[in-house]
Amino acid sequence: MTTMNMLPLIPEMASDGARHFEALFWYITLTSSAVGIGVYIALLYFCVRYRRGQTTGSTPRILGSVRLELTWTLVPMFVFLTYYAWGAMVYNKAVHPPEDATEIFVIGKQWMWKAQYPNGQRVIIGGNPRNMSESERQSIGKLVLPMNRPVKLTFISEDVIHDFGVPAFRSKIDVIPGRYSQVWYQPTKLGEYHVYCDQYCGTWHSLMVGKIKVVEGKEFDEFLSGYAPLQGTQNAVDGSLAHEGRQLFLKLQCINCHSATPTGKAPVLEGLYGSRVPLKGGGAEIADDAYIIESIRRPRLKVVDGWEAIMPAYDETQVSAEELNAVVAYIRSLRKGTTPDRTERFPAPNGAPTERQQSPQPSGGK
Amino acid sequence: MSIAVTSHSGPAAAPPPEPPTPPVNYLNVSHTIWSWLFTVDHKRIGILYLVSISIFFVAGGAAAGIVRLNLLQPDGAIVSEDAYNRAFTAHGVLMLFFFLIPAVPAVFGNFFIPMMIGTKDLAFPKLNIASWYVFMIGAVCAVWAVLAGGIDTGWTLYPPYSTRASQSNVIPGVMGAFISGFSSIMTGLNIMVTVHKMRAPGMTWGRLPLFVWALYATSLIQLLATPVVAISLVLIMVERVAGIGIFDPTIGGDPVLFQHLFWFYSHPAVYIMILPGMGVISEVLTCFSRKNIFGYHAIAWSSVGIAVVGFLLWAHHMFVAGISFYAALLFSLLSMLVAVPSAIKVFNWVATLYRGSITYQAPMLFSLGFVVLFIVGGLTGLFLATLGTDIHLHDTYFVVAHFHFVMVGGMVMGYFAALHFWWPKMTGRMYSDWWSRMAAAIIIFGFFITFIPQFVMGYHGMPRRYPNYPAEFQFLNVMSTAGASILGIGYLMPAVYLTLSLFFGKRATANPWSATGLEWQCPSPPVVHNFEHMPLVVVCGPYEYALGVDQLGRGLPEPPGSQDDPAHRDGVTGPAGPMHKETEVVG
Repeated sequence: MTTMNMLPLIPEMASDGARHFEALFWYITLTSSAVGIGVYIALLYFCVRYRRGQTTGSTPRILGSVRLELTWTLVPMFVFLTYYAWGAMVYNKAVHPPEDATEIFVIGKQWMWKAQYPNGQRVIIGGNPRNMSESERQSIGKLVLPMNRPVKLTFISEDVIHDFGVPAFRSKIDVIPGRYSQVWYQPTKLGEYHVYCDQYCGTWHSLMVGKIKVVEGKEFDEFLSGYAPLQGTQNAVDGSLAHEGRQLFLKLQCINCHSATPTGKAPVLEGLYGSRVPLKGGGAEIADDAYIIESIRRPRLKVVDGWEAIMPAYDETQVSAEELNAVVAYIRSLRKGTTPDRTERFPAPNGAPTERQQSPQPSGGK
Repeated sequence: MSIAVTSHSGPAAAPPPEPPTPPVNYLNVSHTIWSWLFTVDHKRIGILYLVSISIFFVAGGAAAGIVRLNLLQPDGAIVSEDAYNRAFTAHGVLMLFFFLIPAVPAVFGNFFIPMMIGTKDLAFPKLNIASWYVFMIGAVCAVWAVLAGGIDTGWTLYPPYSTRASQSNVIPGVMGAFISGFSSIMTGLNIMVTVHKMRAPGMTWGRLPLFVWALYATSLIQLLATPVVAISLVLIMVERVAGIGIFDPTIGGDPVLFQHLFWFYSHPAVYIMILPGMGVISEVLTCFSRKNIFGYHAIAWSSVGIAVVGFLLWAHHMFVAGISFYAALLFSLLSMLVAVPSAIKVFNWVATLYRGSITYQAPMLFSLGFVVLFIVGGLTGLFLATLGTDIHLHDTYFVVAHFHFVMVGGMVMGYFAALHFWWPKMTGRMYSDWWSRMAAAIIIFGFFITFIPQFVMGYHGMPRRYPNYPAEFQFLNVMSTAGASILGIGYLMPAVYLTLSLFFGKRATANPWSATGLEWQCPSPPVVHNFEHMPLVVVCGPYEYALGVDQLGRGLPEPPGSQDDPAHRDGVTGPAGPMHKETEVVG
């Protein structure tokens, strides 16, 4: 047999809650062990001291003692109540997230965890690849959490009951179909930690496992902005800032002119970012953030050579500065052959149900 | 140390001569198979139960063997994930519904309650045999479900997995549990009525043996809680067959509703399992330490207290299932309170040994094993009742270890103690003293090796019901499987020496342990109507070992192991008359 890894005495503690748990756990362990060992010693002593042969054989007629019985009823009860009170305090902390916690949504499904960040970025935290679609397989990564910042996770299940357990955080919550459940953590240690499904959920219950990666807050912010595919998926832009920009690009109808099938109205934007753009009337400009933003706000200022100045201007009321950033991120991400077709519909928002029942349209004409 | 059958039996090398014609007893009164299948004798029914649950114990144990062997390697050593899921479900369903719940009430309750309270039979003999048939029909359903491919839901049958996703034999499995539940209700009803109405003259509630008190409390739970699980199992079947939304939220149900219904039975059910074991321990510890029990009333009422409070804390199985914060607070508090009567019992048992005169035959070893293991099981329960620790330990191997310490360390040890204590009475034969003590030692040792590592694994977060696990858990899993192998050997040993004792064992006297209960007043094995001379008039409390008298006030025979010291019984010979003085002596 190969050598087997040994477990540490105390499992890794990576959150605020883990510390509270450990203190309580060891309090109960030590006090109850003391009582248990005390009883064992008494038992052993009596068994040796009063074995037949050591005794005369006759025994005293002891029926009981009210004082003793009251003692060993009330003292344990008091000790148990201290467990209860401390436990209630730890639980109170564990189930009530702070107001300012970053919220992440997680959906449990046989047999994978699907998480979504507030900006729409999505990741599959792990599970059994044999049971996934190709795109799901490509999105397997880690749940990235920031150090020392509270994070609230809201869960629901698509099918049966699962349970999201993170031993390093000493935390666990059932993930139930038809109702939302919540848990929150404040990670305190960088590293990667196991996520288990703790509620039996069928054949591959034991493969419904994944990883949490705790990173510095700054790194987490970059990850959220879509530029850093930290969680390790091959499909990092899904839900990223660039993805958001793409949705805006479609929504604002930019696609009507800047499409992949040229209508002769506007240039294709693939590969634009960073390139040298010749301007009408001479001169040239590097297509950086500033140029692209300027071209959206005041399109007739620097028209590209060979095109008519027909693009309307978009002011703050139409496209906010934040949205501009997203559009720029999208343009920056455009590679050869990635411009969507003009007929592409505005996509459903992230997290929308994939199967929607066709409700009959009221048609007044018939 | 050999067991001296009576004080005048002479050296062990010379067995007492066999009588030419054995007296008529419940075993040899008739021999046909029909005389067993249509019997209304509570003793024969007890034997029928004993044979059937022994088979289920072996089957459930085999399933446990598959589970433990598969966990030898992190990626599953012997079977597929599906087969593993079916194996642990078979283990759970067979052990809980078809071994632990009926074990003591249906075997020893049936057999000994009438004898212990001094009557001929249970109140409803025909209901009693009917309960065995109902039990067997349920068992056939469950075994059919297992043989036809198995069930993979776990014994808790949580929907919507069990109603929607599972492709296995949920219906026959649930049917089996449902039907056998009626048997449980019938037995409970029968015992309650018997204890209320059929006690011998003088057998007041204050003179009832504690085993009877424990089974009375158990029957209360069986009668009141079992219908609730029956309802929830029917609802599972209705949802699965007819697609009516009760638990599945996609068709309008609520999965947490099932958990409430299920645990409203299944939490009290753990007391159906453990309370009878506690009753057995109270009998055995007093007998082998030759002491009055310490705090009779505290033990008796703590049984009832456990039965009542046991109904009020089912939701501690749902601390992480999103129940409300205040509900969790309440159920945690009530769970703490149920630990108090259990603690009382343990302290009383230990105090009973104080200044005793203790011998260590197999029943005593099993009982001491019960106390030692139950302390671990009980104390670790506190971690799960405490909210702050349950949020990590819930659904891990910590829970598995905890309930095995209580159910197997407690209940099965109690069952084996009962089996060894009353075997001479049931069969009229003594078993091997050396082998039985060996078996007890091996079982206790194997038990620790099996389940202590599981506490550590659970604390490190290994979830239950995993056929695959991270490699760092392998060492402890291998250790646990090694312990389970020892445990398995320990459990097989009684099957061998008890069977051999039927053919080669020494004949047992009426009272081989020199115990005080009424059941030892009838011959071994008992005659058809239990007692040769009715009616009995009870004049003493159940455990007058210090006075050396049984419940009828008659002197006890020499206890085993004391023939070297006969002088200590001077002064107590023959009927001693009423001497039930409630003198409180401070220990």
